[in-house]
Amino acid sequence: MKNFKEKLSGRVFLTLALFSILALAVITIFILVQGAPVIGKHGFAFIAGTSWSPGNGEFGILPMIIGSVAVTLGAAVIGVPIGICCAVFMAEFAPSLMRTIFRPAIQLLAGIPSVVYGFWGLLFVVPFISNHLGGLGLSILAGSVILSLMMLPTIISISEVSIIVLPSTYKDGALALGMTHWQTIRSVQLPAAKSGIVAAVILGLGRAVGETMAVIMVLGNATAIPSSVLEPVRTLTTNIGIEMGYAEGEHRQALFATGIILFVIIMILNISAQYITRNKSKSLKIK
Amino acid sequence: MGKNISFFKGFVSLALTCASVITATSCSSGGNIENGGTKSHVVVAGSTSVQPYMEVLAEEYVKFYPDSAVDVQGGGSSAGISAVGSGIADIGMSSRSLSESEVELYQFTTIAKDGLALIVHPENPVDNLTLEQIRDIYTGEITDWSQVSDQFEGDIFPITREEGSGTRSFFEEFVMDGQRITSKAIVQSTNGTIRTLVSGNARGNKQAIGFISLGVLELPGQNPVKGLQIGGVAPTTENLANGSYELFRPFLVVVGEEREESTHFIDFILSDTGQGLLEARGLVRIDGG
Amino acid sequence: MPKLSPRASKRNSVNVSTKKAKITTKNLNLYYGGSHALKDITMEIPECAITAIIGPSGCGKSSLLRQFNRMNDLIPIARVEGEAYLGETSIYGKSTDVVELRKKIGMVFQKPNVFPMSVYDNIVIGPKHHGIRSKSALNDIVERTLNQVAMWDELKDLLHKPGQELTAGQRQRLCIARTLAGDPEVVLMDESCSALDPESTMKVEDLMIQLAQKYTILIVTHNMEQAVRVSDMSAFLMIDLDDDDSARKVGKLVEYAPTYDMFTNPTDKRTEDYITGRYG
Repeated sequence: MKNFKEKLSGRVFLTLALFSILALAVITIFILVQGAPVIGKHGFAFIAGTSWSPGNGEFGILPMIIGSVAVTLGAAVIGVPIGICCAVFMAEFAPSLMRTIFRPAIQLLAGIPSVVYGFWGLLFVVPFISNHLGGLGLSILAGSVILSLMMLPTIISISEVSIIVLPSTYKDGALALGMTHWQTIRSVQLPAAKSGIVAAVILGLGRAVGETMAVIMVLGNATAIPSSVLEPVRTLTTNIGIEMGYAEGEHRQALFATGIILFVIIMILNISAQYITRNKSKSLKIK
Repeated sequence: MGKNISFFKGFVSLALTCASVITATSCSSGGNIENGGTKSHVVVAGSTSVQPYMEVLAEEYVKFYPDSAVDVQGGGSSAGISAVGSGIADIGMSSRSLSESEVELYQFTTIAKDGLALIVHPENPVDNLTLEQIRDIYTGEITDWSQVSDQFEGDIFPITREEGSGTRSFFEEFVMDGQRITSKAIVQSTNGTIRTLVSGNARGNKQAIGFISLGVLELPGQNPVKGLQIGGVAPTTENLANGSYELFRPFLVVVGEEREESTHFIDFILSDTGQGLLEARGLVRIDGG
Repeated sequence: MPKLSPRASKRNSVNVSTKKAKITTKNLNLYYGGSHALKDITMEIPECAITAIIGPSGCGKSSLLRQFNRMNDLIPIARVEGEAYLGETSIYGKSTDVVELRKKIGMVFQKPNVFPMSVYDNIVIGPKHHGIRSKSALNDIVERTLNQVAMWDELKDLLHKPGQELTAGQRQRLCIARTLAGDPEVVLMDESCSALDPESTMKVEDLMIQLAQKYTILIVTHNMEQAVRVSDMSAFLMIDLDDDDSARKVGKLVEYAPTYDMFTNPTDKRTEDYITGRYG
């Protein structure tokens, strides 16, 4: 009887686990089936085409690819240095009282819904940019600012952990050599934590690339390729978000094809992050 | 071990089957026509610009008269009119006036007037633009306010609706004259958001220009915007009614033979309830009420 | 009593006492919060000789060692009283620069802590931060130090190999090379052989004796045979009841003498008990 229960529970868990793979398979196959015809028909012109005008049968998503890249990179430029500095501060300098305040505060930042970020961006960031930097404020910059805030919790918490789990003997050894605390962080600890930090950044980027709600309100959604960070832009995600509601026929298939491209980008980012951390856990085992 | 493998295989084939089934059923294009089988049944087809308003009317109508069914489909003004001719539809919707040949074949009734207002910030000194100037702004030919006014300078930020919008196709048809709206234009998806952008207080907002349904130009409780005169004519309901304001299109319903059920529905549209519904959604009512 | 090996018996008190004191302490005290870890340590450590700190586990050997390069500063609850000198310079003086101090007093740890970078980079990281930039100067340092630890021939073509891929014995010798790169005056070695196999241990012990010709070596070891094999002076530390307050336990320097003398003729009974294996 016990044996039967064991086998049954094993089967139940297997079934549930397979259900999640099933869900992934269903979604993937669905997107592929819906979107593949457009890619098949337009081929390279889909990805390299610079004109998105479904009314005229034009389905080039290059402006959206550039938009996604620009907004995400902008977010990284703002968020990564701040995030790593915060992580270093929390791991190495902060008194424990500050840590007990900071950590939950950063988790709170992660808990704010993306639509709230978007709303705040629209009411605060956009007018600020318009008044002080020019343009209408709906811009790559506005999107990057919001996304950098959304990336911060991921970058900070994973980087901080990567630094904390370093053997304390690295720090001891460096200090014993006559290096200052800051030199130790810069030349020994950060390089040693590099793979964890890189994984943190890539995961943060992955989140930024997939973000829709937060940025759809502040990017301006123009279909042109932008020539400055103060110009409006569309990302792959916002393109789908804006037009999905009424798209039909080939237009709708083109949006699914956009989804395929997004899927590929995010998969590449996630696999890179996993690959990098796999190497890292290997190297810790050597000692 | 063998048991586990065959179990897994079974699961994979189940997964693929589910995926294909779901995909196949959703591959079909939207909008299957159901035959009602109830007592009164009216089929309405035609302009996609009129369609959303007609759907609202249909919904409300059915609440008053639960024994009836009203089906609303798109297809475009011309398709709707010929559907009436061939008997497929009972009522056709049109967002353009009928041609001479169509007038001879069908009866039509205007149910509302749709207008387009070009709006700018109240502090923008420009009051009046020609249609050509507006077109050039929206093609990207004119980029600075100083090119249309000697009282104002700075970049122009044109704002448009999204491609599937009926308001946008109205604008494209009446203003753009076959040319494309610049891809640099900011795209927003409702009258409300365009209005918010144009009325905002930051520096850039004061340089923006957008278009909205004329019916929502004056909305109590909303930030004020300035409606531009087109060629000297102001965007008011009076000017819309007397035909002097250019950016106007009639919403018509077209019928072939008289059918009691169709007439009943059209009467509802023309009633105070029906007209009130249309007015609430930004159209101009035709009963002057 | 462990049998004295030929090497140790050659060292005698006459030889060691002719040497100058490199490190001197006067009534050095260490507190960890409320606990009195080291009480009134007074000793003179001779230059260019090997001094071993021995004693039962937990008696404060490592704490004492870490006093000299001020690694205990990293422990927030640690508090120091008394004096310590490197030559004429005060170690705990108000104007003492800790970074400069640690250049002169290097430390090798129990577990080899090679940094995750190449052999070359491990050795030059210290000198680089002290301002040496020229490629040729850095190359010279790498060659000198690897020669000093007798690894130049085996590693000269492998300088860009990740340091963590070396064997344990090689890694520990790399750590010693890294410490020597800064040309210190004193090398502290905290149980540096306990993580190594016997063959590597032998190599490191030979190295210690070699280095003692040029540097002052201070080692902590729980292995009495090792102390006998390599050291010139021995300091025996243990935790005992406080002479001034018999309710408390403190860490004391029970006996400090030339190794030969201590192991053949200990003056304190507690030393004798430890050496003959009755405790610790």
